[in-house]
Amino acid sequence: MTDHKQHTEHSHEEHLREKHLMLDPLPRGKMNEMVMEAMTTPPTWKWWLVFSLLAAFVAWGLFYKWGVLIAKGQGEAGVMRPDYWGIFLVNTVFWIGISHAGTFISAILRVFKAEFRRPFTRAAELMTTFGLVQAGFSIFMHMGRVWLFYWLMPYPNQRLLWPNLHSPLTWDLLAITTYLLSSTMYLFLPLIPDVAMARDRSTGWRKNLYKILALGFRGTEGEWTHLRNAMSIFAFAIIPVMFSVHTIVSWDFAAATRPGWSSTIFGPYFIVGALHSGMGAAVVVLAVIRGTMKHMNYFVRGEHFDAIGKLMLIISMAWAYFFFNDYMVQWYGGDKWTQQLLHFHEAGPMGWMWFTMLITNIAIPWALLWNAKWRSNPWIVGFVGIAINVGMWFERYIIIPISVTINRMPFTWRMYTPGIEVPMGIGTVALFILLYMAASKLIPLIPVWEVQEGQMAHELKKFGRETVVSVSELE
Amino acid sequence: MTESESKVVDLLAVFSDLAPAADAVEQLHAMGVHDDSMNVISGIPVTEAMLGRPRQWTNVPRIAMGGAILGMGAGIFLAYISPFLYAYPIQVSTQSFIPGPPTVVVLFELTMLGMLLSTFLGVFLDSFFPNYRPMKYVPEISDGKIAILVECTHVEEKKITDVLKKLGAESVKPAEAQHL
Repeated sequence: MTDHKQHTEHSHEEHLREKHLMLDPLPRGKMNEMVMEAMTTPPTWKWWLVFSLLAAFVAWGLFYKWGVLIAKGQGEAGVMRPDYWGIFLVNTVFWIGISHAGTFISAILRVFKAEFRRPFTRAAELMTTFGLVQAGFSIFMHMGRVWLFYWLMPYPNQRLLWPNLHSPLTWDLLAITTYLLSSTMYLFLPLIPDVAMARDRSTGWRKNLYKILALGFRGTEGEWTHLRNAMSIFAFAIIPVMFSVHTIVSWDFAAATRPGWSSTIFGPYFIVGALHSGMGAAVVVLAVIRGTMKHMNYFVRGEHFDAIGKLMLIISMAWAYFFFNDYMVQWYGGDKWTQQLLHFHEAGPMGWMWFTMLITNIAIPWALLWNAKWRSNPWIVGFVGIAINVGMWFERYIIIPISVTINRMPFTWRMYTPGIEVPMGIGTVALFILLYMAASKLIPLIPVWEVQEGQMAHELKKFGRETVVSVSELE
Repeated sequence: MTESESKVVDLLAVFSDLAPAADAVEQLHAMGVHDDSMNVISGIPVTEAMLGRPRQWTNVPRIAMGGAILGMGAGIFLAYISPFLYAYPIQVSTQSFIPGPPTVVVLFELTMLGMLLSTFLGVFLDSFFPNYRPMKYVPEISDGKIAILVECTHVEEKKITDVLKKLGAESVKPAEAQHL
């Protein structure tokens, strides 16, 4: 072989190693050190500034304004006939949508053995748990006498009242509770080996915290077997739970005979919408983690943004398909009120929102994600993720308060003007980011053992004259 | 054999790679060490087949199944029995008193909740978590090392130590239980 050929081959291999985390292994001790350093490095003043601002938003928007709402009543919010749900429900649906990213990335990609998932499964799983917390807050805010929330629970009581299990709102309670508990457990199980790692290299309060969380895990054959079996059951079982949650949320609307809501494809349409916003949010979180945390550019690379970008593009196409399907059938049906509503969506005072939704959910992803080079750029993909989330929030706003404006009783038509729910909604966004920032300093965001396992399974192999990436199935 | 010779000790051999650890397991088998007297501790999941070890038994799937049945029982109670406990029975439009489709939703959610909760608890039960007692362990394991914990008599200790070192163990020493 000539020197030139050897050199070209060598540089091709180098390129593959630079590109793929799985082909660029570091000793486990070094990776542990990097993850620990990212977690334990004292925050900068900028970090504290952002943290304090978010904490102030949470205190003001979420808790103070909530207190005002409780003290003065639901009249403080813009909800009144015919808009009884408003932004509270928009945010509930939005946050449940965000929560779908964790399960999608961690469960579906695990089941299909998509290797690129390995370094960011935990970052995505955290979004599920924290997103569902915000969804729960959004429901409770709207409850009025929130301290009586336990009346929703099925338990023997002196009032001889049981929840009405025929109601989609009760199904919501069951589905969201199941999903929140399942996703939290699914977050915790693969975390155990990583907190055990953190326990082994910490001192002081951190040592005590990780010691408690690690539960005495050592990594014996038995412990790994039980853990892997449980993770496998979770990965398969949590997928239908995820599908059921957003389907049931869609039935809150689709089970009513209102124009714009009564649709048989609302279930899958909502699921695709949830995945759309969830993946968009996941990519934003990854771009921020990579840009702000130490050593994260080793673990999170262009290849990961490229892979998520492809998924976002496909999901965007699926969302466009469902949107058009829903629109087409309603338009073709010719119902007088539905026709009026569809016209109102496009040409009413909030028509700008309808067009922005289409631009951010379809035009922007399609324009920017077809190109592999752009797709590998965290800032471009992050921008698309933000655009999608704006679009998906608008979509929920259009479905909920805008759609109920036009109904079969014209004397009730009224444009919804949000009130106290705006700062409260901002409070949930602030709390989500705040929880994430706190988690990034408390738990290893990278599942190091999963990364090492993946690196063991990958190698470069020669097929004829070409060097290609090869993966062995170790499980 | 004297009392001191028959005293049982636990040796902890640390390997930096999988292949020598698998060789060591094979050699220990050849020396008559039974699988029950060995345990492998690692920082990543290493399958039993890779090390030539017998398949580990786990109750997690069975516990999960039990949880699913209990969850379904709770669902049946809510869907079929609780409507009769209501002081003011709810009749929704022309739906039957216990309608089919809503029942499916309730049964599905509670079955899944029961299964996933019990899967989680199954890990705790099978692994004896939480366990904060002193345990035989070295922190290097979470740095990617593979450790073999061998139970042997005092008289075999030297022989086994020599063999394990010869096979590439970075260290072989009597294991001491310590607080993690």
